[in-house]
Amino acid sequence: MQEEQEKIYLYPTPLRIWHWLHAFAIVTLIVTGAEIRFPEYVQLLGNYKASVRVHNAAGIMVAFTFVMWFIYYAFWKRNLFRIYIPSIEDIRHGMIRQALFYGFKFFRGDPNPHHVTPENKFNALQKTAYMAVMFVFVPLVVITGVLLLNVAPLRDMVLAVGGLNFLMGLHWVLACIFLAFLITHLYLSTLGSTPWAHFIPIWTGWEEVENPPHEET
Amino acid sequence: MRDTMKIFVVLSAVMIALTVAWPGGLLPAFAWDDEDCESCHGEPSISEEGGAYLFVDQARFERTSHADVGCTSCHESVSEDHPDDEQRPSRAGCGECHDDIEAEYGQSGHAENADCTDCHNPHYVHPLVGVSGIDVNCTCMECHEEEDVVSTHGVWLPQTILHIRALPCIACHTASEEYAVTFYVESMKEGMGMNPTASPATHDELMALAKEGEDVASIIDLDADEEISFEELQTFYHRGRAYDLRLWGMMTPEEATHSYTTLDNRWDCSFCHAKGPETVQKSFVALPGPHGGYERIPVHGEAALGDLFGSPDFYMIGATRSRILTLLGFAIVLGGLAVPVFHGTLRLLTMRNRRREK
Repeated sequence: MQEEQEKIYLYPTPLRIWHWLHAFAIVTLIVTGAEIRFPEYVQLLGNYKASVRVHNAAGIMVAFTFVMWFIYYAFWKRNLFRIYIPSIEDIRHGMIRQALFYGFKFFRGDPNPHHVTPENKFNALQKTAYMAVMFVFVPLVVITGVLLLNVAPLRDMVLAVGGLNFLMGLHWVLACIFLAFLITHLYLSTLGSTPWAHFIPIWTGWEEVENPPHEET
Repeated sequence: MRDTMKIFVVLSAVMIALTVAWPGGLLPAFAWDDEDCESCHGEPSISEEGGAYLFVDQARFERTSHADVGCTSCHESVSEDHPDDEQRPSRAGCGECHDDIEAEYGQSGHAENADCTDCHNPHYVHPLVGVSGIDVNCTCMECHEEEDVVSTHGVWLPQTILHIRALPCIACHTASEEYAVTFYVESMKEGMGMNPTASPATHDELMALAKEGEDVASIIDLDADEEISFEELQTFYHRGRAYDLRLWGMMTPEEATHSYTTLDNRWDCSFCHAKGPETVQKSFVALPGPHGGYERIPVHGEAALGDLFGSPDFYMIGATRSRILTLLGFAIVLGGLAVPVFHGTLRLLTMRNRRREK
C-alpha cells in the first residue's frame, strides 16, 4: 500500500506566537543568567545591571507566556491533558516503541511509529518530556524566579520555602535542565524527513505528514 | 644674730610652703577623677536636674576608647566648685585629637549640615567594628528618611530594599577599599525600620541560648576556639530558628572614612557580585555585648564568602555560588549535549540506511 503525502494544520497562530515568545525568552534567560552567575567569565551584555534587568524582563515574559499557553489549551481548546499527559497505551507500549525508534530503528531507516494529528501531536516520549517541562519545570522556575525578583517584600515566603540559598540553587539547577532540554529539543527537531521538516511547521503552522493507510489513533 | 636667725627661719618657712603648695609641687592641686564624675553623672536621676545629656551610662562609656583618656581630658575647665559654680565645663573639640578626620570631613558636603556629635555621641562612640551595620544606617537615617533613600536609589538599583538592608550606607559612600561580610543575629519577633519582620537581637535575647556561666560567644562558637566554623554557622542557624533568631549578613567596610566619596568602582555591580574579589573574602559574626557595642568573631577561612551556606538565607548573586551545584548544573547540560553528540554520530554513520529506505 502506498503512503500518501498530506498537509495538516498542526500549530495554530496563538500556539506559534507562544512558542517563539517562549523560545526567545528562554534563550535570553540562559544567556543573561550565565552572565549573572559567572560575571567574571561571561560578559555578553557588558553590564551586570543590564543583565539583571533583561533577565527579570525575560522571566516575566516566560511567566506570561506560560499563562497564555495554559489558558489556550485548558480553556480554549480544552484538550490540555489529552495533548500533554501520556495515556495508558503510551505508558505501556508507546514509550518503549518510541525509545526503540530513536535508539535503534531510526538508524536502520525505519519510519517513525508515531503519526501526528492535531489532536495527537506528540509521541509518548515527547508527551512525557513536555509534561515534565510544562507542568513541573516551568512552574517551578517561574515560582523561584518570582520569589527572587524582589526578595525584600517576599522575605517571609523565601524563608518558608527554605531560604535564598535553596531558591537560588533550585533556580540554577532548573536553568541547567532547561538548557539541556533546549539542546535535546533542537537536535530531535532535526530528525524529520529533512533536517528542517519539523522547524517549518512551528513557523508556518502546516506540517507535511506521510500517513499510512491505517492511521494510528 | 637673732635677727638673722629670724629672717632665715621665715624665709625657710616660705620656701617650704612654696615647695609644697606650688602647682606641681608636693601638695597636689585639686583635680576631679573619673569616679568623682561617675558618682553624679552615672546616676540616671541627674537627668531630672538638668537634662538627659548629663547622664552617662558608665557601662557603655567604659567600653569606649574615650574612657581611657578620662572625663577631664575633654572637660578640662571643670572647677573645684562644680556644679555649685553653675558653669558648664568646657568640651574639647573633636579635632584636637582627631585632626585628620576633621580635615577630611570638613571637605565633604556633610560638614555644612552636621557636626561630629550629631552622628557620634562621644560617650558611647565605638570603632566601626564595634557597631552593627544597622546601627550605622540608623544614624544616617536620622537625617535621610528611609523612603527618600529607597526612592532615590530605586531609580537605578535593583532589589533596592534588599541592598539597603544588606549594606551600611557607608559601604558605598566611603573610600574604604577593604570589605568583610559581617553576620548579625536578627530576632524575628519584632520588626525595625526597613524590615517589618526582624530587628537586631539583643544581648539578653542571645543569652537565652548561651551555655551556663559562659558569655554570649558560646551560642555560636561551640568549641570556644574564637573562630566560627562552617558547621558552627549551620548549627546556630538551625538551633536559632526555635528562638526566632537567624543570621543576617551585611557587607561592611573595614575602614571608616569621612569623605563620603562614592568611588567609581562602587557603581559597578561586579565590584561585589563576582566570585573571588579579595575585598569580600573575610567574614565575621558580630554579637552584641552586655553594655552595647559588638564583638566580632572571625569565620574560619574555609567558610569564607564563597562557601557561606552556613546561613541558608544569605546569598550574593555572582559571588556565593555553590561549587557543587555549579558542577551538578554542568553535568546536566553535558547530559543534554550527549544526545546530539552520540545520536548524531550514529546518525552520520548510518546515513546510508535511511537513504536506501527512501
